[in-house]
Amino acid sequence: MTYRGIDAETRRRGGLGEFRTVLARCALRWTPRLRVSASVMLAACLCSCSTPSTTGAAKRYFVAFSQCNNAEPYRAAQNALMTKLFAAYPDVKLVIADAQQDNSKQVAQVETFIRQKPDLLIVAPNERAALTAVMGQAMEAKIPTICLERDILQPNYTTYIRSDNAAIGRMAGEFIVDYLKRKYGEPRGNIVQMRGLLGVEGEINRDGGAKAVFARYPGIRIVAEPVADWIQAKAKDRMTEVLRAQPKIDVVYGHNDPMAIGAYLAAKELGREKEMAFVGVDGLAGDAGGIQKVKDGVLAATFVYPLCVDKAVEIGNRILRDPSFHPDKQYNIDATIVTPGGPQ
Amino acid sequence: MLKLRESQNLMALAGIVLLAILISPVASDGSRIFLQVGNLTDILRQISLIGIVSLGMTLVILTGGIDLSVGSTLALSSSLMAMGLTRAWPGSGYAAHMLYAIAAATLAGGLAGAVNGAAIAGLEIQPFIVTLATMIGIRGLAKWLTNNANIDIGFGRDVAAQFAAAFRQKSLVIGSYAALAAVFWLLLSRTVFGRHVRAIGDNETAARYAGLPIRRVKIVVYALSGLLAGFAGVLYAAGNQQGNPNAGVAYELDAIAAVVIGGTRLSGGKGSIAGTIVGTLIMGVLTNMLRLGNVDSNVEMMVKAVIIVLAVAVQRQRRMD
Repeated sequence: MTYRGIDAETRRRGGLGEFRTVLARCALRWTPRLRVSASVMLAACLCSCSTPSTTGAAKRYFVAFSQCNNAEPYRAAQNALMTKLFAAYPDVKLVIADAQQDNSKQVAQVETFIRQKPDLLIVAPNERAALTAVMGQAMEAKIPTICLERDILQPNYTTYIRSDNAAIGRMAGEFIVDYLKRKYGEPRGNIVQMRGLLGVEGEINRDGGAKAVFARYPGIRIVAEPVADWIQAKAKDRMTEVLRAQPKIDVVYGHNDPMAIGAYLAAKELGREKEMAFVGVDGLAGDAGGIQKVKDGVLAATFVYPLCVDKAVEIGNRILRDPSFHPDKQYNIDATIVTPGGPQ
Repeated sequence: MLKLRESQNLMALAGIVLLAILISPVASDGSRIFLQVGNLTDILRQISLIGIVSLGMTLVILTGGIDLSVGSTLALSSSLMAMGLTRAWPGSGYAAHMLYAIAAATLAGGLAGAVNGAAIAGLEIQPFIVTLATMIGIRGLAKWLTNNANIDIGFGRDVAAQFAAAFRQKSLVIGSYAALAAVFWLLLSRTVFGRHVRAIGDNETAARYAGLPIRRVKIVVYALSGLLAGFAGVLYAAGNQQGNPNAGVAYELDAIAAVVIGGTRLSGGKGSIAGTIVGTLIMGVLTNMLRLGNVDSNVEMMVKAVIIVLAVAVQRQRRMD
């Protein structure tokens, strides 16, 4: 039995067999107090149902993934892809925990994972400062740790798999400049930026990358840049206000697709959606994703922000199976642009 | 009556701990992960913030009130803490600087609480409405002060780093919770003030006729709740190394859950600090048990929902017996 971290055999015996006898004993002893034990038993049942019993004699691996917020479509797509890719390895047990966009919750989750000594820990940090120290603890506990997509403040990870948001910002900036050149014959025009959650790396660099490009063209003006926290509904509200104040808008650059779509919906409500082009970032697949919105003619372009999960699973598997493998400290995954003509 | 309820809570806690031990996964050295000292202190540290907030919440609920603003107050305090460390009092010594910042952040919480209390006692508006308003307003204040951005602290070699290193230690966080719990237990069970708190919640009209200083007691109770939320914000800033205007969302609900699981009646009058501590521990151990068992986090929420209802149902039954 070489299941590192959690010994499957002991776990099953200690976990369920013993547990049933004790439940029986409890029931006997506590019959008069059934009301109290009812709550306990209920928790027990739920636990035993949802804890998969681990069988098999071959070497098994426990991979723990702490996801910052399942509620974002990009994150849900990450989870789905990771589950699918690891499912191809029957000796890997993957557990995904959702921190619901709460730093304290994610720190607690990573701490609990560290106690379980997984063979591989993958963390998509909610925010940089809050997760830095606890990921350091994971490294101290000698758990190979992959930092996924968002960075932290110190290199407390075995490897960091990322996409370059500044490069995406520059690509978006160049695309917008080209669009304005086609429209007016020269690079000039009014731009609205819909900003994501301030202080997050993705927001900082998608913003900074694009602004670095715009700065070269004095004819390009950013007339408004409201903060919509990545959320479509908020973007629609903020854009409605912008539309009331700005008589002439050429391009809306949303730091993610939902915000670009929210801005589009606001413009459509006021009959102004033809006046301007909408550009987003993320480029998720599926009906609700940005790629479909480009096909539908809602967005002029989106930039596929890679899920980074393929690389994480590839590198993770090599870390698990090849003790002599030393990953690079950082892997960059390139973004691609999607326009109505297809991916380029 | 109270004794009975407390022993019953303890039994529920013991049951959950026993269950957690039994179904705990086993580490490679044969020990149960749940029982590892590191894990047990993890639990205590993780519940400390909600634990501290729920001490004040117990007093508030005992008076028949509610305080929905504690999560926002925590966010305000954590933001002020980070601002105090990075932007105020340059040139003062490390210890003094830290002390000023902690005092400012905690007292801001106390002030917010006192405002709640004054509006509730003075204007006689329902606590739910007053604290709902301050929940929104204080969150806005925190976001406005920080310009909506987090303030990272403690990654250099400055006073903020010293502060974070000191106040994120498990012993200090758990120690603070234990000390505050002891103080509030004494306050509620051994002082005249404590008796007044219960009397007001039990029957406010009777308390008024008995000549109790109802307004003063209410203001103090809400101020204490704010102070504790403020101090929890200081610990949040150290633990997460940031002042975060978006911190503490829904913490008020976790605190209320801990209080009611601990047997305090939401309509006031009956309940205890000891019960709240047990309630907090039940939620903490339950969370840890489910996470060690790798139970899906959505299922975790459903289990907690059931536990809250069951706990209160059991206490209700017991009262009717």
